[in-house]
Amino acid sequence: MERWVFITIIIAIYLAVTLTIGLLAGRKQTDSVAGYVAADRSFGLLVMYFVTGASVFSAFAFLGGPGWAYSQGAASFYILTYGALGMAPFYWVGPRIAKLGRRHGFVTQAQLITGRFPSKGLSALIAVLSLIAFVPYVTIQMRGAGIVIEAVTDGHVPLWLGALVAYGIVIAYVLSAGAMAVGWTNTFQGIFMIVIAWSLGLYLPYRLYGGIGPMFEGIREARPELLVPPGLTAAGEPWSWGAYSTFILVSAVGLMMWPHLFMKAFTAKNDDTLRRTVILFPTFQLFLIPVLLIGFSGVLFAGTPPSADFILPFMILETDLPPLVVGLFCAGALSASMSTGDALLHASASVVVEDGVMQFTKLDERRQRSLMQALVLLTGATAYWFALDPNSSLVLLLASAYGIISQFAPPVIAALYWRRATTSGAVAGLVAGIAVAVFFWQNPALKPFDMHEGVIGLLVHIPVLVGVSLATPAQDGRHVAAYVD
Amino acid sequence: MSLRTARALTALYFTLSLLTTTWPGMVPFARVEPMILGLPFSMAWVGMWLAGSVIVLWLLDRVERRHRDPDGGEG
Repeated sequence: MERWVFITIIIAIYLAVTLTIGLLAGRKQTDSVAGYVAADRSFGLLVMYFVTGASVFSAFAFLGGPGWAYSQGAASFYILTYGALGMAPFYWVGPRIAKLGRRHGFVTQAQLITGRFPSKGLSALIAVLSLIAFVPYVTIQMRGAGIVIEAVTDGHVPLWLGALVAYGIVIAYVLSAGAMAVGWTNTFQGIFMIVIAWSLGLYLPYRLYGGIGPMFEGIREARPELLVPPGLTAAGEPWSWGAYSTFILVSAVGLMMWPHLFMKAFTAKNDDTLRRTVILFPTFQLFLIPVLLIGFSGVLFAGTPPSADFILPFMILETDLPPLVVGLFCAGALSASMSTGDALLHASASVVVEDGVMQFTKLDERRQRSLMQALVLLTGATAYWFALDPNSSLVLLLASAYGIISQFAPPVIAALYWRRATTSGAVAGLVAGIAVAVFFWQNPALKPFDMHEGVIGLLVHIPVLVGVSLATPAQDGRHVAAYVD
Repeated sequence: MSLRTARALTALYFTLSLLTTTWPGMVPFARVEPMILGLPFSMAWVGMWLAGSVIVLWLLDRVERRHRDPDGGEG
């Protein structure tokens, strides 16, 4: 049998298993909106752990992570730093969000924010911003899936077909089973990703250089600039400490503000599950170490991939690994892509319906669910259309997506912890923060100290939120007491 | 250990982690030597803070559990 046929069969088996798990998972769930969006708040520790971990680790981590290590060296260490920092506060914040969710029936982030700060406009603004941040993120996952499949099948399965099949399956199970399918497929995919990353991350350095130590000693001799933070930019120039540090900051603040992750707090069975998910999350982060080792193993390797992001498939194909390993790797990369893509598609539809449409018209539960399903399809199709365009500057958009998403943090924290915060303050802060972030994203040369535009946005956002809140009348004490203990 | 102390120590750990993995606190540790477990020093440094956070959060949880109602609600 030809090599690519064998690999294609492994991928097909993997996709079939994923589809089966996704479709079976939905059978245990009710037909309600709380069922579709929040899986009837039923996730135990195992599913919560993988649903959180696998949703964070996307095609970007699996392909982009090694790409950064390969071309920008120590700049990639920032990826190791922010996860635990961003997640730790959720040990306390998570259970509070979950409690409010149970008390008021919230299933989305904007419902929590506008529960405390009632404003239809604010709700719609959050829905629109979430969608703007989501589409490029989904597109990257699709492109990642398509490119991996195209690479390992020697071009026999082109990008458009690979992405179409992989995401056809994702859309099928997200449509039929919602949050429950996302949860159970992510568990399967998460286990897959961890095993593949650790095996390849340890295997490649040994196979090529005789160990991790000898590999880094070699890089130290040939390319010492790669091993010292803050590393290099994509263009190969030295990166700035200002950018390195604020990338960590904005990612830590933004991490749990991604609606698809934030909403996970509403899916947990109980508070203990949520707290343990937070405690175990850094163990999932450790999986980035082998991912970066894979990238570093390419530095001294003869030959150059078509672009840094493809260093992983390139190394796999160039080192003559057995077809079984190549097929499994491909399944691992697809896991990373699909486990994030499904959560994104599911969350974007839920957010647009609950926080956008439902603010302005009333729909019964069945119509809401149908509309969400239509939106999953529509968002998927939009992202697919972008994924086929090789010239779209989506990587740029994704980098700024964190700038947008991190602006959700101040209103969430104010809603939960600051009695004196007002609706006007929350709206003014969010608008100001977004405006500043977008301005500096458009004018990168003006950024002070090369800071990430999201951090500059927060530096304006927080004083505006505080100032406008103090300048407007305080909220009714009984209303506030329902949110702030 | 009291709940207060445990929370303060956890906050201290994560504050230190942020300060020594960003500018300017990371500058003294942004180096290749000495290599640890074959990794360049700076990579081992950020990896160490990550691994440490698993232990710190686990210890925090042990204390929090002891102070919580048996039904798992806020204590």
